[in-house]
Parts: sequence; C-alpha cells; structure tokens
Amino acid sequence: MMMAVSGTALEICEVYDPYVREWKEGGGRVVGYSCVATPVELIEAAGLLPYRIKALGNPRTDLADGEMSLFNCSFCRSCLQLALDGTYDFLDGLIETNGCDHLRAMFENWQHNKNLPFFHYLKVPHFFRDDSLEYFRRELELLRKHLASHFDAPVEDDALKRAIEDWNLVRERWRELCSLRELPEPRVTGSEALALELAGSRMRGQDFAELLSSFIEERKKAPGKKPRARLMLCGPATDEVAWMEEMESLGAVVVADALCFGSRAFLHRPGTGGDPLEELAEGYLTSIFCPRMYKEYDKRRSYIMETAKRAGVDGAVYLYNKFCDLHGTDSVLVRRDLENSGIPVLVLEKEYSAAADLGRIKTRVQAFLERIGGGV
Amino acid sequence: MTLEKGYVMRPGENGFERAVGILEMVYKFAENVSDEAVEGAANFVFPELKNTVLGLLELPANRDLEIFFFQRLLELFWEAQRAQSEGKKLIFIPFTFPPELFWAFDSLFPLCTEIVSGAIVNICYGQGERFWDYAVSLGLPDSLCSGNTIGIASLLAGPGLKPDAIVYNTPGSCNPNAKIHAFAADYLGVPQFILEKPVDESPRGREQYYKYLLRFVRELEEWTGEELREERLREVMQRAYRAVDLYNEYWELKKARPCPVPNIFSMTLLVLRSQMWGREECVEVLQRMVDISKERLRKGEYTAPEEVARIYISYIYWLFDFYNYFTWMEKKGISILGDILAIHYFPPIDYSSKESMLRAYADIAFDYPMTRQMGGESISLRWVDDICYAAQDLGADACVFGGVHACKHTLGTISFFRRELMKRLGIPTLVLIGDVFDKRQTPMEIFQREVETFVDQVVSRKKAGRRRK
Repeated sequence: MMMAVSGTALEICEVYDPYVREWKEGGGRVVGYSCVATPVELIEAAGLLPYRIKALGNPRTDLADGEMSLFNCSFCRSCLQLALDGTYDFLDGLIETNGCDHLRAMFENWQHNKNLPFFHYLKVPHFFRDDSLEYFRRELELLRKHLASHFDAPVEDDALKRAIEDWNLVRERWRELCSLRELPEPRVTGSEALALELAGSRMRGQDFAELLSSFIEERKKAPGKKPRARLMLCGPATDEVAWMEEMESLGAVVVADALCFGSRAFLHRPGTGGDPLEELAEGYLTSIFCPRMYKEYDKRRSYIMETAKRAGVDGAVYLYNKFCDLHGTDSVLVRRDLENSGIPVLVLEKEYSAAADLGRIKTRVQAFLERIGGGV
Repeated sequence: MTLEKGYVMRPGENGFERAVGILEMVYKFAENVSDEAVEGAANFVFPELKNTVLGLLELPANRDLEIFFFQRLLELFWEAQRAQSEGKKLIFIPFTFPPELFWAFDSLFPLCTEIVSGAIVNICYGQGERFWDYAVSLGLPDSLCSGNTIGIASLLAGPGLKPDAIVYNTPGSCNPNAKIHAFAADYLGVPQFILEKPVDESPRGREQYYKYLLRFVRELEEWTGEELREERLREVMQRAYRAVDLYNEYWELKKARPCPVPNIFSMTLLVLRSQMWGREECVEVLQRMVDISKERLRKGEYTAPEEVARIYISYIYWLFDFYNYFTWMEKKGISILGDILAIHYFPPIDYSSKESMLRAYADIAFDYPMTRQMGGESISLRWVDDICYAAQDLGADACVFGGVHACKHTLGTISFFRRELMKRLGIPTLVLIGDVFDKRQTPMEIFQREVETFVDQVVSRKKAGRRRK
C-alpha cells in the first residue's frame, strides 16, 4: 500500500500512516467517514481528525466475503476487510451515510462486527430542494450534538467557521492544482493528483492546504510535457493510484477528472457569512455530483462537459467497479452526451484492485488511445 | 430493433402488446375447466408459456380463481392501452409504490413496471430475455434488476406503449430500481416524479416523508391539471381497506396446518397489491382467494399427502416459472407462507379528511414491503425483525432466501441475517442466488435440487428431532 507524490514531504501513505499515527500518539481521536457528503468541517471543529475510509488498493477480501456477497462492490468489500482484520482499529468512531446500497451494507457489517464506540448515521437526501435542505440542516445539527456529547467536545460556531475557512482554502488550492493539470503541457499527472487527494483525505484542512500549496509552488517551476493524449477520468470512489499510473504509463495524462476520490470531493463551497450549519448544509447538498442524486443528471452532465471542454480532453474514460449500478447506469447517458459533443468515451467496468484485470484494461486503454489519435 | 424470427411480434407492437395479445386466451376457457382442457392448452402453447398455464391451472384449487384473476388483469391492461387515447396520462410506477394513490386521480393510469416485466416473462416467447439483452447492449450494467429492466427496456426498444411520465420512490432503499426508472425518464425525455423515503425511522423521518408526499401530490396535480379530490380519494381508500380486511383474513388462514392457501396465491397477492389495490377487481379476487382457502380449510384439503415443510421466503419469489416453483413445492408438501413482499402494515385510517387519508397513505408507503426494510435505518435489523415476526406468526419451519443478483442491499447483509434468524428463532435459512425473472442466472432445476435437499436433510430431520424429544 504505497504511493508517492514526488517532490513533496509525502512519500508513503498507508491506512494507518505516520500522519495519523502521530495524531493518535498525541492523544488525538479519529473519526472515519466514507462519503463526500459528510462535512469534514464538523468533525474537525470538534477537535477530531476526519479520516476518509479507503482501501489503497488492498486486493484481499476473504473476511469481508464472509459477510457480503460477491455481487457487492469489491471496493466496499476491500474496505470492510481492513475493518475486520483490524487495520482500522485506530478509528474512534465512524459516520455512515446512505451513499449507495453497497456502502450501507458495508457500514452495517462493520458495525455488527466491530461495535465501534461512536457510530452515527448521517442521512443525506437524494435531491436538493428547499424541504430536503431543511432536513439535511437538521441532520447536521444532530451530528454536531452527537459528536459533542460523545467526545465531550462542543462544536462552537467559531471553530466551525475556522474549519470551513480551512477547507475552503483546500478547495481553492485544489482548483489551482487542476489548472496546472489542464495546461497544454500539464505539470501534474492524474495519479499525482489522486495521491494528493488520498493523502489529504486523512489530514486536517490546514495541513492539507499547506501540502497542496507547497506542491503547487514546486510544480509551477517545473517544466511540463505534451502528453500523447489528454484524458478525463469519470467514475466513483477509485483510490487505486497504481492503476492510474499504469494508464498514464501508456503516454496519456489524466488532465481532468470527475471522480469521487478526486475533483468531485472539492466542489462544495460553503459560505462563511451566515449560520455555519446552514452554509454547510447548502454548500454540501448542492454539490454532490454523484449519480446517487436524482433528477440531477443535467447538472452532472453540465459539470462533466464544461470540465472536459476547459481541459481540452481528447477522450474520456468512464470507469466503475463491477456491480456499481449507479455509475454503470449513468455511464450510458454520459457516454451518449460526450460522444454527441465529439468527445470519444471508453467505458470500463472492472473489479477493484484485481491484478488479473490490469492487462485487459491496459489493452483496452491502449486501443482507445489509438482510436482517439494518441497512437505512436 | 430487429425482430428475430420466432418472436411473433406484429408491427407496432412490443413486449407488453404481445403479452396482452396472448393473454386474451384466458377468455377462451369455458367455465369449470377440466383437466383435459388444461392439458390441451398446455400442450398447444410454446414451452415457456406451458409452465405458466400449468402453474396457474393444473391444480384444481387454483384454476377458477386464476382464470378469473387473469381476466381482470387483462381488462386492466386493455384500459392501460386505451388510457392515452382517452385523455389520461400513463405513468409507470415501481412495485414499491402503493398504487391506490394514483387510482384516486381520474386523469392518471398507473402501470407497474414489474408487472409489465412479469407479463412479458411469463407469457411471451423468449421470456423477455431479448429485452434484458437489449438493455445490456445499450451499455447498462448486467447487475441491474431484471424485475424492472425488462419492462423498461421494452419501452426503450421499439414501438408500442410509451409512458407520459415515470414515477419512483426507491432512492436510498434500492439503487437499481430507482436508477433504472430515472434512466428511462432521462432517456425518453419524459417527466419524472420522486417520493424519497428518508432512512430515518424517527417521528421526524415520518414527518419528513409526509411532507415529501404532499409535495409529490402537488407536483402530480400541477402536471395533470387535476386536483386530488377528497371524495374520490375516500372512495379509493375505502376500497383499498376492504382489501386490507381480506388480506388480514388471508394472513390468518396461512397459519392453519396444513396451510390451506394454494402456493400460487402468493404470486396473485403480489400482483394485486402492486397493480390493482384500490380497485374493485382487487377486492373481488381477494374475496375469492379467501373463500377458496376457507373451503379448503373446512374440508382439510391439501395437495400433497402431508405438509412436509412450512417455508417462509425471506426475500422475494423467483417468478419466471410458476409451475416449477409454486406448483412443484405444493406437490412436494412444501407450503409457501409468504415473502418479504407479503408483509404489509396497514395503519388505522380516518376517512374524515383528505389530510387524514394522506397521513394513512404515507404510513402505508413508509412501511411498504422493501421500502420499510431496505429503506430502514438498518437494512439488516429491520429485515430480520420483520421476517422473524412473519415466520414466527405463521409457524415457519425454515426460510429460503432466493437472492436476486441485483439486490445488493440484501446480498450485502445476508450472512448477518441468516445468523441472526437462527439465533432468534432457531430457524435455518437456505441461501440461493439467482434472479427474479431471468432463468439464465440460476435455472429452476438447481433451485429445486437445493430446496429438496435442504428440506430432506435439514428441515425434516430437525422436525423429526423435535418429535423425538
């Protein structure tokens, strides 16, 4: 479970990595979450470290397969495996969200088997409307209270506003990072961006913003290179840096993405002027660019089309794990709409972290690159 | 779409129209159909339809009821075909949505997607496989649910019936169901209406659901230009509650040993609830089901020499071969007591106002099968609670989980479910994975072999052990 972001202090990332270890050894507590609809600002304002659940390419699922079926998403099974084998025992609590059927099953099995001292179910509506917004705001209020009572850590408005500012800075830096990816000669690869996101998704906002800043400054000075093809990658929670590196090793660069572990995690823009919970509720609920949101396909399409055009992509790869009905179904519409606007699309369905899949997928990507004019 | 030789589709038709055309044969049967007539009919039709004919009609106890029921269903399908020309808006609804609300709108005609799929699968040559394959050829994942995808794909594939809108209510409780309905609306460019159930069983969650329902009704009213009238709603809900009384009687009859209710009635109840609840035909059919079962109880009639096992289907029936599922088990002395879709909670209803009736409807829909369990705060706990209740109340010896490969929520929690059921009730569960409408996933021969072994090796031995003690 290694990944590297060259030229930064971050060289190794594993589930329980030095950053988290240091935090724990300093007496800090860690709360896990999985879905980008979870406002990390609330966790952070309670003095806790938000940790986004990931599997970092863990291919083993034998323990999880005893609980979930082989018809369930292998990413969720892989994460559950790490819970069952004790890797995630450092967590002091977990926040469930109703992201998808697989995720809910993963959380339930986690809870039944590990009995975490703090478990909270954050219920996220499936559409944005005035009535669902009000419901979600109240959900955030309940989360705030539960965090405060369980961890004996009141979440004050001032602390929350500071956390919002810190994370808004992260989002701003992320956009800067994206602009470096989108240059004619990109300065940042897709796998580097993914590695940064994975690193940041277990950090405090302030530290993450600093990491991004130093990385950006370094890359601004570095020369870029014209890639063989400019790709956009769309899909769900994919935390396989090695997989993306393999794809980029064929000469393409992922210059833009609409990934859940990726740019989609940075689209929330809570305001800072009003009631922080209201700002958070609106900022998050309006910016969940996930197919789990209904009657919002037009919004997702616009976002994908605008990003693809701005980044000048030659083609798009829509990637999802087998049995992901949400992304699998959306992929049909995305492919139709991108191709209608002249952007070729390759849809890839794969198993999470399956080494056996890699050769097949590389062959398909290679053929796709040749098709879109990126052949050598 | 090219029509392959042998599918016998006529120009301008699609799966639904073809199913309706073939179903017209139910009017060819005389009253008091004889065994010979059933045998003749079964041998006259193509093999897949043969198993439907035999599944419905071979056992004399089912025969008159199923003919009567399918005649009513056919008439309803005809109404659906005429609806748009009569100025009504045709809407597709999933089987998770109580249909009575829509019957209360004069300008709407609800057609249940899964009933359309079921009709295609059990009536048409090829069992709808061509529509499933068509969906996959569009790029849709093969892990979607055939229950709705076959019906939806027939809409997308070619001529025939087209809805004016799509309605669904499973975001958050069943992704494949909600997603394919949303996809169809986006693909066809027709309006979509959503009723979301928050995964929140607190009073706040129920209240939110009620608010969402009022909004949903308002949106329908604006779209149709018709206000939901109190008087009309009362009429429909009163009819729905006459069916509720009969459903309660039906439930009580299931408790008798041996079970006097024919296995195939489980399917009949499912179709009634998903498509016809709130209509007079539903009451008529249910009344006959209850009368037949009472009469069998009175006479001590049971198809097999003895009731070998009382099985609760802990998820849903597989519905692509009535004969080799329902009839086969009945002949083996295996009584089917119900499935998750047979567990309904009907609150007391106050007919005094539109609001009070909509409150009751909101509770019905909140606790509707699958919405209640898979849309619960905990899928596994709500599911196991409800199956425990049903299995215990009806005296089940064992459960069979006929898993459906699309249903990731239950597949993701089945291990816990099985352990917990054994712990709470001492009831074993046979876990099988296949599909509700696509026999290619797991053929019925395998289902039969597994169930037979399970009943012989586990259930019967367990019962014998109990007797010895």
